[in-house]
Amino acid sequence: MDPLFIELQGITKNFPGVIANDHVDLAVRRGEIHALVGENGAGKSTLMRILYGLYQPDRGTIQVNGRPDVIDSPRRALELGIGMVHQHFMLIPVFTVAENVILGGEPATWGRLRMIEAKQQVAELCKQYGFSLDPAALVGRLSVGEQQRVEIIKVLYRGADLLILDEPTAVLVPQEVEELFSNLRRLKEQGKTIIFISHKLDEVLAISDRITVLRRGRVIGTVTVGQASKAQLAEMMVGRPVLLDLAHPPVPPGAVRLEARHLSVPGASTRLAVRDVSLSVHGSEIYGIAGVEGNGQTELVEALVGLRALSGGALLIDGHDVSRTTARAIRLLGVAHIPEDRHRRGLVLPMAVWENVILGHHYRKEFTNGPLLNRPTIDDFVRRRVHEYDIRVADTDLPVLALSGGNQQKVIVAREFAFAPKVLVAAQPTRGLDIGATEFVMHQILEARGAGMAVLLVSANLEEILALSDRIGVMYGGRLVGEFIRGASTPAELGLYMTGAKRQDEATVG
Amino acid sequence: MKGRLLALQIATPLLAILFGMLIASAIILVIGRNPLDVYAVMVRFSLTRTDSLFSILFKATPLMFAGLAVAISFKAGLFNIGVEGQYYVGAFCAALVGFSLKGLPMVVHLPLALLAAMVGAMAWALVPILLKLRRGAHEVITTIMMNYIASALLLYLINDVFRDPAQIGTPRVRTPDVALSARIPSLGPLLARVGLHGSDVEKVNLLLVGGILLAVVLTYFLSRTRFGYEVRAVSFNPLAAEAAGIPNARTRFEMFMLSAAIAGLAGLNDILGFFGYLDIDFPKGLGFLGISVALLAKNNPLGVILAALLFGFLDRGAAGVQFFAQVPKETIVILQAIIILAIVVAYELLTRYVRTQRKREAELVAPVAVPAGAGP
Repeated sequence: MDPLFIELQGITKNFPGVIANDHVDLAVRRGEIHALVGENGAGKSTLMRILYGLYQPDRGTIQVNGRPDVIDSPRRALELGIGMVHQHFMLIPVFTVAENVILGGEPATWGRLRMIEAKQQVAELCKQYGFSLDPAALVGRLSVGEQQRVEIIKVLYRGADLLILDEPTAVLVPQEVEELFSNLRRLKEQGKTIIFISHKLDEVLAISDRITVLRRGRVIGTVTVGQASKAQLAEMMVGRPVLLDLAHPPVPPGAVRLEARHLSVPGASTRLAVRDVSLSVHGSEIYGIAGVEGNGQTELVEALVGLRALSGGALLIDGHDVSRTTARAIRLLGVAHIPEDRHRRGLVLPMAVWENVILGHHYRKEFTNGPLLNRPTIDDFVRRRVHEYDIRVADTDLPVLALSGGNQQKVIVAREFAFAPKVLVAAQPTRGLDIGATEFVMHQILEARGAGMAVLLVSANLEEILALSDRIGVMYGGRLVGEFIRGASTPAELGLYMTGAKRQDEATVG
Repeated sequence: MKGRLLALQIATPLLAILFGMLIASAIILVIGRNPLDVYAVMVRFSLTRTDSLFSILFKATPLMFAGLAVAISFKAGLFNIGVEGQYYVGAFCAALVGFSLKGLPMVVHLPLALLAAMVGAMAWALVPILLKLRRGAHEVITTIMMNYIASALLLYLINDVFRDPAQIGTPRVRTPDVALSARIPSLGPLLARVGLHGSDVEKVNLLLVGGILLAVVLTYFLSRTRFGYEVRAVSFNPLAAEAAGIPNARTRFEMFMLSAAIAGLAGLNDILGFFGYLDIDFPKGLGFLGISVALLAKNNPLGVILAALLFGFLDRGAAGVQFFAQVPKETIVILQAIIILAIVVAYELLTRYVRTQRKREAELVAPVAVPAGAGP
């Protein structure tokens, strides 16, 4: 057995009102890939920040290579060979790969950069670990997967022996995940140690040697891969059995509810973000849109709900042409919208929970009393919604910003599912939610389908698209490049469409 | 939490005032006076004399309108720095209606003059808000520019177009007298019945009551009506409001017009309530003081009343210390400025404190609300 590299004992970290880490013990062996799993708020990130010197534990000890140590800064962590690859890349797009890698530790003589030397070093690192990267390429031109490789090289350049990867697969398409995993295996072969933070159990089981599960700040257990099933791990994470496979009963599709004909939508600049997209969604059908983010999904969704003017094509809801109308008119036709960014589009954070529950319904006759808001009716409505959707809030007068992400999303779902909508446009509905809340939202979407709603689901999470959709469209470069019925495609195949490597004929799409 | 929050919200401006007094004390010490004596003179002079009390009320009245106008625009996420120019134009329109129409009964003439003030100010605000909503020009810049134009325009109108012919040959540059039917009734006769007399008592007019009523109405309007709800949504998160089908641009436009209409009334306390004509030296700067008042009141309409009274008090007190304590009244102006600075800092600290408190509270709530059947 390999010797221990890191040993955390009894780590406790309190934040005002919460215990983020509660007597956490974690032992990481040299040369292993150790996964740290848990729901949002389980304390994974806090623990890793303590290890990386960003936080100080209130109690507990850290041993590195068997010697107790105090890691009071990232600088100290790097001295000990501990490096962190952040979930959000910290790269300068106008710099080259090599320039980004050396940033903060530039080799220089009398203030003059030794750029040629730096480039060579970076190239050698890439070669050593089998990373396909051109040190002279501009970072801004790289794909997300390549940018992540730059982040990893950055940490290696600083001499790290232990790499902490915080949710590294969240931004990747399946092919990129595969490539990342082969890179990680190569790093392991060369003796590096990796801590892999995730909540995607399939990936964790595919890459790690051992898995430590955290829940509510405590270690629930550490298991060797092969000792525990996915379902067991999920139960350890959530604290109760989780239905991993959602029931997806066949439902006969209804009439076309939402139809886009040759839709073109302008983006931020003058170029079109959505080009000539045609699709139709029937009642009792979930149409999933897969794709790497930034390929026009955001603009498509905004156009469908009336928040972005079309530059071409037509949009029909239940046969009504709504190509040139307002968001309110589209809402009144029964279109519900779960926006991709609940903080930007979905909620008014400083306003009370009750005010957010009626947002968009507030002009309904039953909620007004002349120019006044009819508080008794509203309060009654809000109480019922809060109860029905199990929104955990002590007082609906509290601002919605005081709620957890899952509860905030429930506020949106409770609001949007009110008054029997016919069409649901859901963009990234489970983003940032933990397993419990994700399960809830996915169930709601399936129930909406069962109730006859036409659902357009946009998600960067391919698993979610595959689990829920009756049909799947893939967007790339603003176009719909492929359309598949449920079960007719594999994740790998969809990945090829998502990266633009493959596309169907115009005739078969839409 | 709610009770403590309210206490904090009231304590914050008080602490800021205290901080301002401390700094002003240092200045007074440098001048070589005892700050406690100076403050004592100020309080005694301002608060123990009938004429001072009514002078404070008179000074506070236009500040209520200016403060409310600014606060209303801030509430909609707009910065109406143009209250200054808007009340110039409003005052002129009111005076014009006041001196050019004759023989109307008061019930027609006075409302007409008030209406003219509001419409004039709204017209003046139209250019900046349309530029903002249509072209994205920042209203701070455009309203400031409109202030300069209003100032020059008024000088021209008073001096060259509507100068009272009776004053030609005198150094007085002013419009003709406003008809008595367009003058705002003084509260003097009413107050005389309870035994209050004096020129300062007679200066106080119905606009004081109007300002207070307006603050109450606006509070109710913003917190209870559908429109007030939409305004809050638009100002806190325009993107979410838009997604909910609330017309952002229209809501902003309406609030800006409301702000301008209120601004139009700010000059009338002096023009229609006291002088009865528009002099080229009419009181200026009320719009900018209104910004301070709104800031101090944190845009709360009822707070505007209190803040306006505080400014009236400081103004009166400044005259008192100048006369009785031989301290330059600029000291009090500095005090005003420091209070404003302190208040901005204090509110920011309060906001941060409340935010962390709420987070803490929410996190304390969370563990209690474990779902049924979710236990381990």
